[in-house]
Amino acid sequence: MGARVAVDIGGTFTDLVALFDDGRIAYTKALTTYDDLARGVLDCVNKANVNLPDFEFFIHGTTIAINTVIQRKGAKTGLLTTKGFRDVYEIGRSNRPDAYNLAYQRPVPLIPRELRYGITGRLASTGKVREQLDENEVRTAVRELKAVGVKSIAVVFLHCYANPEHEERAGQIIAEEYPECFVSLSHNILREFREYERTSTTVLNAYIAPIVSDYVIGLDKALRDAAFPGNFMIMQSNGGTMSASTARDLPVAMMESGPVAGVIGSGSLGQALGMPNVISFDMGGTTAKSSLVADGEVRVVTGYFIGGYETGHPMLLPVVDIVEVGTGGGSIAWLDEAGGLKVGPISAGSDPGPVCYNNGGTSPTVTDANLILGRLDPKNFLGGEMTLALDKAVAAMRDKIATPLKMTVEEAALGVIKIADAKMSLTVREVSVAKGHDPRDFALVASGGAGPLHAASIARELSIPKVIVPELPGTFSAFGMLFADVRHDYVQTNIRPMKGLDLNEVNAVFKRMGEEAVATLEREGVPKRLSLMTRTVDLRYRGQEYTLSVNVPAGEFDAAMLVKLRASFEELHYARYQHAAPEEEVEIVNLRMSSAGRFSEQDAMSFKRITQGGVSDGGKPRTRRVVFEDGAVECQVFQRGSVAPGQIIEGPAVIEELVSTTIVPPGDRATIHECGAIIIDIRS
Amino acid sequence: MTNPVKTNPVTLEVVRNALVAYANEMATVLVRTAYNMMIFEVHDYCTGIVDVEGNIISQNTGGLPIFLADLGAAVVGAVEIYGKDGFAPGDVLVSNDPVLCGQHLNNIVVFTPCFHEGELMAFLASRAHWVDVGSGSSGFGSTSSQSIFDEGIQLRAIKIYSAGNRNEEAFRIIKDNIRYPDSSLGDLRAQIAGCKLGERRLGDMFAKYGKATVLDCVTAMWDQAEALARARIRAIPNGVYEAESYLDNDYVERDKIIPIKVRVIVEDDEMTVDFSDLPPQVKGPINSGPSGGIACARVAYKCLVAPHTGATQGEFRPLKVNLPPGKLLSAIRPAPIGGWSLSMPTVIDTILLALAPALPDHVPAGHKGDMSGYAMMGQDKSRGRPYICLNIFGGGWGGQKDHDGISAAVSICQGNVHNGPVEVQEAYYPIIVDNHEFLQDSCGSGRNRGGLGIEITIRSEDDAYLNTQFQRTVMPPWGILGGTEAKPNEIFIEGLNGERRQGAAVTRHLIKPGERVVMRTGGGGGYGNPLEREIERVASDVRGGYISVQRARDDYKVVVDDKGVVDDAATKALRAGA
Repeated sequence: MGARVAVDIGGTFTDLVALFDDGRIAYTKALTTYDDLARGVLDCVNKANVNLPDFEFFIHGTTIAINTVIQRKGAKTGLLTTKGFRDVYEIGRSNRPDAYNLAYQRPVPLIPRELRYGITGRLASTGKVREQLDENEVRTAVRELKAVGVKSIAVVFLHCYANPEHEERAGQIIAEEYPECFVSLSHNILREFREYERTSTTVLNAYIAPIVSDYVIGLDKALRDAAFPGNFMIMQSNGGTMSASTARDLPVAMMESGPVAGVIGSGSLGQALGMPNVISFDMGGTTAKSSLVADGEVRVVTGYFIGGYETGHPMLLPVVDIVEVGTGGGSIAWLDEAGGLKVGPISAGSDPGPVCYNNGGTSPTVTDANLILGRLDPKNFLGGEMTLALDKAVAAMRDKIATPLKMTVEEAALGVIKIADAKMSLTVREVSVAKGHDPRDFALVASGGAGPLHAASIARELSIPKVIVPELPGTFSAFGMLFADVRHDYVQTNIRPMKGLDLNEVNAVFKRMGEEAVATLEREGVPKRLSLMTRTVDLRYRGQEYTLSVNVPAGEFDAAMLVKLRASFEELHYARYQHAAPEEEVEIVNLRMSSAGRFSEQDAMSFKRITQGGVSDGGKPRTRRVVFEDGAVECQVFQRGSVAPGQIIEGPAVIEELVSTTIVPPGDRATIHECGAIIIDIRS
Repeated sequence: MTNPVKTNPVTLEVVRNALVAYANEMATVLVRTAYNMMIFEVHDYCTGIVDVEGNIISQNTGGLPIFLADLGAAVVGAVEIYGKDGFAPGDVLVSNDPVLCGQHLNNIVVFTPCFHEGELMAFLASRAHWVDVGSGSSGFGSTSSQSIFDEGIQLRAIKIYSAGNRNEEAFRIIKDNIRYPDSSLGDLRAQIAGCKLGERRLGDMFAKYGKATVLDCVTAMWDQAEALARARIRAIPNGVYEAESYLDNDYVERDKIIPIKVRVIVEDDEMTVDFSDLPPQVKGPINSGPSGGIACARVAYKCLVAPHTGATQGEFRPLKVNLPPGKLLSAIRPAPIGGWSLSMPTVIDTILLALAPALPDHVPAGHKGDMSGYAMMGQDKSRGRPYICLNIFGGGWGGQKDHDGISAAVSICQGNVHNGPVEVQEAYYPIIVDNHEFLQDSCGSGRNRGGLGIEITIRSEDDAYLNTQFQRTVMPPWGILGGTEAKPNEIFIEGLNGERRQGAAVTRHLIKPGERVVMRTGGGGGYGNPLEREIERVASDVRGGYISVQRARDDYKVVVDDKGVVDDAATKALRAGA
């Protein structure tokens, strides 16, 4: 497999990881350049001495899509929808999730009401045309939208998931009247019912398309100018990549590229280490994120809310199932008016940051607690680039927490860590125990700057027997992108009882999806031998609403297939919910296909060890006092650049590196793996 | 700052977070495996952990607000019957006891005991709205019911499993007395699975921390919640606050409005909601048991005092509810209570209105004040089986200090209740939805205007039967501090020749093919003087069609065309004349 380079633009840093033909890895970090993101990308490339002509793939994750939405900097966009339903997009689901908050506010629509047009024409749920599309109304609306300077138009008609005819016709009319306009037709984005969620997804796509398109074209040109000869791929929320040209049509698919890539990286690393069951745990400054990979398979779910459940915009495309909690290094510890000790969700962020950053922060944070307990070294933070103010952290912890609670400063700091760990454990539990997985069968892959500090304690809480700390835990998202396959998802809502199912109909739908998938992969340059199609069906008992996705084995749909699917469904229902109803009728709701271009069939074991550079202690570990729950101990402190494959480190111990610190608690044992990863065996 | 807690504050926070997580996990199992739209779509349920005395230890976040901390009533009833020693591991109980629970019989509580080292520690409980419990109506209660015996099967703490053994007789009785047993027994399975899950989680917690620590933490949680609430009440000026409003009628005596008068007394760190001026219980089904009155007081109280904390028993200790028996919200058996929740949005809003002078920065103008929903049913010819489609939808909320009221939102009783998507309704049932859109000018005007109500129109190509239970078609949602009132609900059925008949409160009412059911929900009242609203915001409302050119001129004295272009000179002249 050819050499590839991944660049991940995050909130603060742009990370680059390059994988050379011989298995060597290079990496670098540079500040994100908000004024010109592409320049930051090329800065990184230059800084890492990566010679683009040598590479076959450039894989890119970026926050531009999600930031355009959150900062509301998208294009002026119009909406054509079914007459009588112009306000569906603003009405949403009418719910008030923050139920007792009298000041609760909805997400403000990305398209104002005067740019939303109701068009005559109606389909039934079967796709049957109940009323013809009024083409003149479409034409008039497009002319009006053009006249007021709209750059992008979303088209969403009721039930068009079952029959795209009206949307296609509207698309043609827009092309005739206003050919330079961006057009997003809902059936091209997803063929799934629920009008509000589909509208929101289509509108998101339309709203960001012009901006993302300019960005992708600009970066593509910059890469070509630097003589990059290979494939320019963009990371998607579904854990796969897509070509830059597909991304211009489907920018809504790239909302969550960074965190998702970390999950992909966890899965690949687990596979390479012979541990196909892993739980990723990524802890940064403000949040911790977790996701589960069972048997090498990343869990993908349909939809989430951009900007949070309570006031965000629903996005219905498949996304890697990540559960997030507002606990990070910057999370502030505080007392409520009744003296209850709380940690987060308010974060000191990077400005002013934790008290110990000495940048004006006065509220003690999780990072301050780690420093007080000796888990962080005040003199060796970010490779010594920054000195942490221990005295200030102690004073803040004492004044704000310890004194009011009549505790010592160290007790308070331990308490803060314990609460943070417990909250994050609940998150890890939510992706595992709560979904019927036994944590004892998994390894926890710790990433993010703060992940390796907390992972062992969380693993112990949940009886997870092993923790894996990869090389470069602080740039793990970029690392993960190296291993992402091309992936596209297709769905067709098709509600039918399983009994008496029209098998031809199902086979025909899958055939159409397959052809579409093959065509897209071909366009993206994926050789046929690397293409892989997987099919799933969403099933439920008749009368239920929620479905479970069941994998479809190879072969055409026939009677035997239905028996197999039914059995898998019962099993899954029982595993997930501890009950099943084998005597009841089962319904098919959605047919799904995902196509993969498996570029990444690469054995991560073949990596040469990465030289991290930075601090080395010449193999002579120092010691320092570190406080654990059972008391303070003098602990060996290793530099990651100096530990050797095969080396065994008995806890308690600390392993430091440039952007992260790994804690090996008393009784646990760390082994340095050949590929450089630290593997910690957790005592039960 | 006081610290009333002796318990280790770290363990306390860990246990608190876990207890809420367990309740949420129970809710997830229920929603994901339920068989009826009222649960999976509308979220008409709650789950929680209740101690043996019936106190709420934790409750799921995001359930129905009017189910605040009242799961305990069902538990109390069971303990009265069986005694504290009368439970065994593997017991599963069901209850919709109208006396103790005080709610319509569709709300079925399922609960299971949790033991630790042989000792009964707590109950795991789940309440969910079953689609049918027998009676003359389906979906929800009949408008003509005049006694609890018109309203369906009554289940008072029935052990459907006894020490793990299924009580076949009880199941048979339930099955034979409800119209959609596949659906409801499926919901029952989902409820049991949720409780069993909670039982395991809580059992693990007792095993890990020991009884003393867990119970200590629970006590401390309550004490802390109480202390927080008291601190907030202290910030409200002492006083006796009153307000009144009225409901349409009780559906039986249709010519009599029902006055709602409430009094709120704030004294230092306690609040009393006094319902002694409520009308006596009524003939029709809009009564509730005392738990209904308590729920109203609690929702209003929580919105003002503790909107952001999880529901737990302690926070309600500073709240006293004065509710003499035999009132609208404390009806005595066998009063009909099929529409037990219908008065609540208005009652809660009236409590808030009473407190508006004390808390003008927090209390919004009046909202639509109604639960707003329908049930359409009939025979689904293409699938050869009967169907019932339920839906709930939004209306306007009142303007408030910092922004306009939200449009098309569910009532204050309904929280995370979702409307049913049109595509889902049409895909599952033989009904057609003609529109779901804002109703121009339905809002009250003000410095911050109210939110908009909506219009939904439905019909069917076959005979169909309609149930509705609207209120507030007469009294408009009120404005405050100079804001104007909004339009109230308006529901009618448009016949084949365009003639209209009332549709606000009907039971199994025949809708013929070609007839249309038009439901218009009320808007929200305005907040503050409309003339203080920025002219550009008025113009923007006209541009979007939220309000008409006429409304801009009449209420805001802004002269603007339908494109939102303001005529500055004419506006100035109009305002000079105003």
